[in-house]
Amino acid sequence: MKIKNKTFRQNAITYAMVLLFYLICQGLIMSGNMSSLMKGLMVPICYYVILAVSLNLVVGISGELSLGHAGFMCIGAYSSAIFAVCVDGKIPEMAELLLALVIGAAVTAVFGFLIGIPVLRLRGDYLAIVTLAFGEIIKNVVNAVYVGVDENGLHFSMKDSLSLGLSENGIEIINGAQGISGLPRTATFTTGIILVFITLFIVLNLVNSRQGRAIMAIRDNRIAAESIGLSVSKYKMMAFVISAALAGVAGVLYSHNLSTLQATSKNFGYNQSIMILVFVVLGGIGNIRGSVIAAFILTILPEKLRFLSDYRMLIYAIVLITMMLFNSAPKAIAWRKSIKERFFSGKKAEAGKEAQ
Amino acid sequence: MEEKIIKAADVRQEKGLMLNVENLSISFGGLKAVENFHMQIKKHELYGLIGPNGAGKTTVFNLLTGVYKPDTGSILLDGENITGKHTIDINHAGIARTFQNIRLFGNLSVLDNVKAGLHAHYVYGTVSGIFRTPKFYKMERAMNEKAMEILKVFDLDEAASYKASQLPYGRQRKLEIARALATEPKLLLLDEPAAGMNPQETQELMDTIRFVRDSFDMTILLIEHDMKLVSGICEELTVLNFGQVLCSGATKEVLNNPEVIKAYLGD
Ligand SMILES: Nc1ncnc2c1ncn2[C@@H]1O[C@H](COP(=O)(O)OP(=O)(O)O)[C@@H](O)[C@H]1O
Ligand SMILES: [Mg+2]
Repeated sequence: MKIKNKTFRQNAITYAMVLLFYLICQGLIMSGNMSSLMKGLMVPICYYVILAVSLNLVVGISGELSLGHAGFMCIGAYSSAIFAVCVDGKIPEMAELLLALVIGAAVTAVFGFLIGIPVLRLRGDYLAIVTLAFGEIIKNVVNAVYVGVDENGLHFSMKDSLSLGLSENGIEIINGAQGISGLPRTATFTTGIILVFITLFIVLNLVNSRQGRAIMAIRDNRIAAESIGLSVSKYKMMAFVISAALAGVAGVLYSHNLSTLQATSKNFGYNQSIMILVFVVLGGIGNIRGSVIAAFILTILPEKLRFLSDYRMLIYAIVLITMMLFNSAPKAIAWRKSIKERFFSGKKAEAGKEAQ
Repeated sequence: MEEKIIKAADVRQEKGLMLNVENLSISFGGLKAVENFHMQIKKHELYGLIGPNGAGKTTVFNLLTGVYKPDTGSILLDGENITGKHTIDINHAGIARTFQNIRLFGNLSVLDNVKAGLHAHYVYGTVSGIFRTPKFYKMERAMNEKAMEILKVFDLDEAASYKASQLPYGRQRKLEIARALATEPKLLLLDEPAAGMNPQETQELMDTIRFVRDSFDMTILLIEHDMKLVSGICEELTVLNFGQVLCSGATKEVLNNPEVIKAYLGD
C-alpha cells in the first residue's frame, strides 16, 4: 500500500539519522577528535532526545499541553537510583542497568496513571497548569524525604536522617535535599543510543497503529471520535502513561550518568519541563523526527556558544527565534516547499492538484 | 419486479421498528428546544426529519446520540433501551451519525478517517501494535481492504492518501458518511448531508444514499432542507416546528399538508 510505504520510509530516515549520528560521534571519540566537554554531552543528548520524543507523544500526538515532564523524569531517576544503591556490587552492572530501566519505567508509569486520573479530566490551559504543579510537587517531595535500608528493610522519614533509626550496617539512600550519592555511573553513550532507538520504536509504531490512530482522531475532533465509539479517556490515558514511562527511562539514564543525584529546580523543575517543551515546539508539534533534531541541536548549542561568554544566552535566544520562524512562518514554509519541489521534480505538485 | 418490492415491504413490517422515540424533551435554560418529540422508524426505511431553521432537528440528533441527556422520554433502538447512555455506548449499540458542521479528523488521511471508524471491529492490542506481531499485519491489511471498499462507494478511493482537510467541501461530507458507515451501525443519522452541494452533487448524493441503504441493509434518518432531496428519497417524514412535531407520515401526504406548507412559507 502506497501510504504504508511512505510512513515506513519516513521512519527509516529517522532511525538512519540517529544511527549516523551515533557512528559519527563514535568515530570522533575513537580517533580522539572530540573534546571532553562534548563527550560529556553524549549521554545528555540521548536523554533529552528521549524526553522530547516522549513529550511529543502527549503534546503533538494526543494534543494535550503537559508541563510536568521533568517531574516524571525525576521519578524515573530516583526510583532507579534507589534500586542501584540497594543492589550496588551485588549484581553485574549490565543486569543492574537493565533492571533499573524496567523499574524506572514501571514506577513512572504508575505515577503517570495516578496523576493522569485527575489531570486528564481537564483541558487546555487548565491541564497545563495542573501538570506543572504536579511536576513541582514531585521535585519538592523528593527533596524532603529520607530513606534508608538495613537488614530490617526500608526506612522512611520526612524529618532528617537520624530519625530513620537505621541499625549499624544500615545505609542511607536518600538524604533529603542532598539526594542520593554513591551511584554506579553505568550509563554510556551506547546504552543511551539504544534507549533512543527503543523510544523511537515504541512511539513511531504506536502512532502508526490502531491505538495511535484513535489517539490522533480524539485530538483532531473529540466529539466526532466519541460518535464513532472511541473511548476518549482510555486513549488519552494510554498516551499519557506511555509518555510518562519513557520520561522515566530518560530519568534512569540521567541518574546512571551521575555519581550523586539531587533534585534541583535546574534538573527537575518547571524550567526543565519548559525546555523539553521548547524542543517539541521547535522540532514541530507532532513531528517526532523534528523533536530528535531539536533536542540534539539545543543541547549542543549552549556548549558550542561558550566562546561568546556574556553574549551566549542572547545568541541562544536569537537562534531559538530564528529556528522557530524557519519552522513555522508561512513564508518560510512556502520557501521550503518550493525547494523541495525543485528537487523532487513535478511529481508532488501534481498530486497536490488532484486533491482539489 | 413489483412483486419483489411488495415482498421487501412485507419483510420490513415483520422485522419491526428500528427506532422508537417517545415523549422526548429537553430545554436549555428557559428554551424548550425539543418537546414531546416522537418518531417511529421501520427497519430498512429512509426517513426524513424536516423543519425550519432552529426548529430543533440537530438537537434531536444530539439527544439520539447521547450528546445531550433528555429531560424526559425514551429511545428504543431495535428494541434496546438506549435512553441516557453515553455517546460511545450508543455508537456501539448501533447508531452512527454525521454532523451539520463537518467534523472530520482533519490531520488524518482519508483512509485513516475510515479506519478509525473500523476501530471496534478489527481489534489487536497495544503490545501487538508496537511489536508488529503477525496479528497486527493481518488486521491492518483487512482494515485497509474494508476501508477502501467503503471509500469506493463514495468515489473517494482515489483520494485515500490525502489529508481529510485537503478534500473539497462536498467530498468531506461524503467522507463523514463513509466514516459513520465503517462503524457498522444499524441506524445512520445524516445531518443536512447535501448542505453546500451543487445540484449535480446533490443528485449524486441521493443515489449514493439510496445505494447505501440497499447494499448495506441500513436504516437511515436524515435531516434535510433541500425539498427536492427529501421528496426524492424519503419514504416517510416528520416535520418539526418550534421544537414540536407538526405532523408525520408518508412523504407525499406530509408535503401536501397545509400546515406544513404554512410553516415553511412563514419561515
Ligand atoms: N447547547 C445548547 N444550548 C442552548 N441552546 C441550544 C443548544 N443547542 C441548541 N440550542 C437551541 O435549540 C434550538 C434548536 O437548535 P437546532 O437543533 O440546532 O435547530 P435546527 O437543527 O433545527 O436548525 C435553537 O434555538 C438553538 O439555539
Ligand atoms: Mg441543524
